[in-house]
Amino acid sequence: MNNEIWIYAETHNNLVMPITYQLITKAKEITNNKKIVVILFEGLNDNLEDLIKEYGPDEIMIYKNDFIKKSGDRVIATLLSELVLLRKPNSFLFGATVLGRSISARLQAKLNTGLTADCLDLSFEDDLLIQTKPSYGDNIMCEIICPNHYPQMATVRPNIFVAKKDLNKIPLITKITNLKIKEDKNIKVYEEKPLLSKGDSISNANRVIAVGRGAYNQKNLPLIEELALKLGAKIGVTRPLTDLHPFSVDDQIGQSGNTISPRLLINLGVHGAVQFTSGILKSELIISINNNPKAPIFDYSDYSFIGDAHDFIKALLNIFQ
Amino acid sequence: MNYHIVVCVKQVPVSNNLKIDPVTKNVIRGTEAGVMNPFDKNALEAALKLKERYGGKVTLLSMGPKNFEITLRGGLAMGSDEAILLSSRSFGGADTLATGYVLSEAIKKLGDVNLVLFGRQSIDADTGQVGPIVAEFLGWPQITYVNKITPLTDGFIKATRLMENMEQSIEAKLPVVLTVRSELNNPRYPTPRNIQLSYQKKITIWDEKDINADLNRIGIKGSPTVVRKVWTPEKHEKKTINLNSDPNQAVLEILEVLRAKNIL
Repeated sequence: MNNEIWIYAETHNNLVMPITYQLITKAKEITNNKKIVVILFEGLNDNLEDLIKEYGPDEIMIYKNDFIKKSGDRVIATLLSELVLLRKPNSFLFGATVLGRSISARLQAKLNTGLTADCLDLSFEDDLLIQTKPSYGDNIMCEIICPNHYPQMATVRPNIFVAKKDLNKIPLITKITNLKIKEDKNIKVYEEKPLLSKGDSISNANRVIAVGRGAYNQKNLPLIEELALKLGAKIGVTRPLTDLHPFSVDDQIGQSGNTISPRLLINLGVHGAVQFTSGILKSELIISINNNPKAPIFDYSDYSFIGDAHDFIKALLNIFQ
Repeated sequence: MNYHIVVCVKQVPVSNNLKIDPVTKNVIRGTEAGVMNPFDKNALEAALKLKERYGGKVTLLSMGPKNFEITLRGGLAMGSDEAILLSSRSFGGADTLATGYVLSEAIKKLGDVNLVLFGRQSIDADTGQVGPIVAEFLGWPQITYVNKITPLTDGFIKATRLMENMEQSIEAKLPVVLTVRSELNNPRYPTPRNIQLSYQKKITIWDEKDINADLNRIGIKGSPTVVRKVWTPEKHEKKTINLNSDPNQAVLEILEVLRAKNIL
């Protein structure tokens, strides 16, 4: 076994996903004298290593091939497994994203090793990776280890760790040339459509207004949008609203959506299912408006207003006129 | 094109208030009622729609203790043709790898399967790993997090995969493994007639011998990961201050707090 922590660089549309940088910074904090190696697959004309190197890993291993973007998960997992068998890293980290979860699990099966999903924390005891993951809608925390198999693999929830640049460290850049990509004739990614982005994501917003079923109606929506504008807030929603116009999964707060950490969070008509509240625990000040005095959301709130969301929004807007 | 679709389902606890076995660190099952994992219902709905349109057969597959039959019975009442429960003491304590191995061996035993559907993840363990592991053990391609399925002629299937910031259109040749999102469809409710019919349908029980399992790859022995510690995180119950019941007064109170904390 090699004394290396590997990180899979997730890239889409010529952008590096922020979880990649977050993983580099976290790995540097817990490294315990292990080398941090980023594995980057990119097109022939891409140079995403220029972005990644600012975060100061020890090495970036690059494999350039235009075909990878059109391949399914199986091809990526196969390439990664060949690399793992060549260098035998101690551990291998992925973002707990759609792609990260999908290829890491395939890789796990290829390598017959353990994989812990959706970790919230990582540390080392000598060479043993201690992985903390939530279960049962974040109601239970588990510490998981993989003592007899390598690499120790984990996916890590995005936006738990803060990425920090480290320009002092100049990483070694290695080009991988000894891999042969075999086309997967049974699957083809023939189109990638970026989803309409509504500007900055709620996960980085300083002020957030969360809308739940109790406040979602055509009378309130324009008022909520006006309020968001006045407060400089982003609008997020609970899971049931992701299917309702004008929202999408991009706007979802909670365990299967975005974890947010704003200074101010205003919950309008949000009941407070665990699936939602697990995504708001890092908010500094939480105000909740709900007409049900027993709504669980109040257990998580600093201030509560028991009453109609519509009245509260109007009163708040009046102040800013 | 005739489909034999296997839908892999998991029974999850109804409530999140669980008991943990202090020795095995596993959740004590059987003490609380169970329901079908919600995402698995979307997978089953997709399978039933394909069957209705193109013909074929839908088989439910699950691994767990005998009381998982109640979930399979519910799936039969939604319209599945048959159900198989992989149940044996030696399957117990399995992590995702050992679970994926057992499911894939059962699918191999069935032989004529050309589509396997999973929910995107279970809502208890929340890994989303078992689908891709089964795909790998079967040697099939996979499309995960599917929000749209369009069957094509001559044994191909087209699906869109909804990711964090984009949507991929993917075409795959059967056999293939799909894991589906809740955005894909709205699962049906069982009709009274289908509930009645479900009691005439068979739930087959298979153990490790029935699927010729390698005993080193099942249960605790076949699981590389070890749960070392389990705890309940401290409840985040805050001291909540009630605002004035008059909204105009309430917003004035809030404004004062926000200014004091320099948030506004």
